Amino acid sequence: MTKSAIATDNLSKSYGSGVALDALSLAVGIGEVFGLLGHNGAGKTTTVNVLTTLLEPTRGNAEVAGHSVTADAMGVRAAIGYLPENVQFYDNLTLMENLRFFARLSGLRRPDQRIHDVLRILDFEGHDRQRVGTFSKGMRQRVGIAQAILHSPSVLFLDEPTSGLDPEGVRTLRETIVRLNAEFGMTIFMNTHLLSEVTKTCTSIGILRNGKLVHQDTLARTLADFPGEESLEEIYFRLESGHVS
Amino acid sequence: MSSTWVIAQKELLDLRRDRLFAVLIAFLAVATLISVGVAAASFRTQLDAYNLYVQQLAASGSTTVPAAPQLFPLQLLRGGVEYLEILGALFAIVLGYGTVAKEKYRGTLQLLLSRPVGRFAIPAGKVLGLAVVWFIVVALLTVTTTVAILVIGNAPLQGIDIARILIAAVVAWLYLLFWSALAIGITALSHRLSTGLIVAIVVWLVFVLIIPQIGDTMDPDNQVPGGLFATLQIQKPDELKVLANFAVFDSIRNGLEVSSITKHFERLSFAFLGIKDKYNQQPLGLVWADMWGYAITLAAAILASVTFAVGFTTRRNLQRKIS
Repeated sequence: MTKSAIATDNLSKSYGSGVALDALSLAVGIGEVFGLLGHNGAGKTTTVNVLTTLLEPTRGNAEVAGHSVTADAMGVRAAIGYLPENVQFYDNLTLMENLRFFARLSGLRRPDQRIHDVLRILDFEGHDRQRVGTFSKGMRQRVGIAQAILHSPSVLFLDEPTSGLDPEGVRTLRETIVRLNAEFGMTIFMNTHLLSEVTKTCTSIGILRNGKLVHQDTLARTLADFPGEESLEEIYFRLESGHVS
Repeated sequence: MSSTWVIAQKELLDLRRDRLFAVLIAFLAVATLISVGVAAASFRTQLDAYNLYVQQLAASGSTTVPAAPQLFPLQLLRGGVEYLEILGALFAIVLGYGTVAKEKYRGTLQLLLSRPVGRFAIPAGKVLGLAVVWFIVVALLTVTTTVAILVIGNAPLQGIDIARILIAAVVAWLYLLFWSALAIGITALSHRLSTGLIVAIVVWLVFVLIIPQIGDTMDPDNQVPGGLFATLQIQKPDELKVLANFAVFDSIRNGLEVSSITKHFERLSFAFLGIKDKYNQQPLGLVWADMWGYAITLAAAILASVTFAVGFTTRRNLQRKIS
């Protein structure tokens, strides 16, 4: 495998007779912001779950930050940050207590200073003592980003990060993603439905259809390859439906 | 700081702010205190009846003074032990179930499993957290009931009584931990959360209520109030002779009872507290000589329960719903 931040080799995942991922081979370079696109049920979340070691692949292998998801799952977990779709926290605990918990599980011994630094980066100070149960969806999403980057991971996985956010929340999140990538060099792998967000944040994209990768390239090349199309949306529908000349 | 201890600390913090937990423990404490109060009131009634009887005897010119009823302070704890063995076990199941179920239904499991924690850290952390919780709860109940014996029961306690109470407290702690760990393992193994709770409660029903109840019903001491042989004024040696003819029946009754962990807890507690008349005011060494088998079985059951919880609360079992 190459020295990509993420590299998969014939990665497959089946549930009984159903195939969720079918021989997926993709590579995401270090420092890229990669957007994985696809309809509902295309296998996007399964891909993230396998890459974050939440699920074991049925066949094939993947390396994340140089660690195999099958042979060195602990190494993968130590190297990544993960924001699941509809992230939830311990509502009875305050913001600080939640973040302290996840930071310690990630191996930070005295995490308080780092937590304050991360909250400052995310412009989310002043809520330390507030219980997370009282937070709005947008606030929870920011806590989700905070817990994912506390331990300075080299790869950050975001599963439908804009799901359920209002336009302001979407914009704030987009700015955060761009900043984390630009300032801290994090490789970001995100699943999303919002093609407009992909255009504004991603450097490369992949399109999944029925568990198969039907397209992978940089965003710039993808747009250049379809000069006749007005938007990424048009290109997406052509690639996704297989109508590519 | 190990991941296990980090998870245990989180459980402690979470439960400290859990209203259901506060209500359950308050209920247990109040029920235990009331049982001490009722037992003390019952003794006072006996004492009043005795005093009245003595006065009437004196008024009638009799010089006979019958033996006064004796107060054995630790016997005031009988109701408390019974509440712990039934309600305590049920609450322990609810808490054990809750520690796993909450992670699943509130959706924090994925975050937890995405962290670099060892194979056993999550279940071990949860068991450790509940062990600390039950230690604190039992310690508080021990202190409050001891104070209740002194204040409500107006009964003096010796050093040896405190030692007996402490032994019973350790037994209670282990017993509650057994049920919590069992519930953790069952919930982790169940495909549906509701199934986990139902299975755990069925196990509780069988081993806490049904089996001990069958055993109690078969016990001649429970056939009539005060005991069959005592009511018929049959002395102990004669009682043993009669029972020798029903050895198989008694073996079946005893076998049924000892198949329940609850009976082990009850027999140990009743023996060390002297609630069982046979062991009342007996030296601890003598009680231990009779009860060590129960203690070993209880310890083995707890070890099995914790092993079950830690062994079966695997990533695969926990994330069955994640796809």
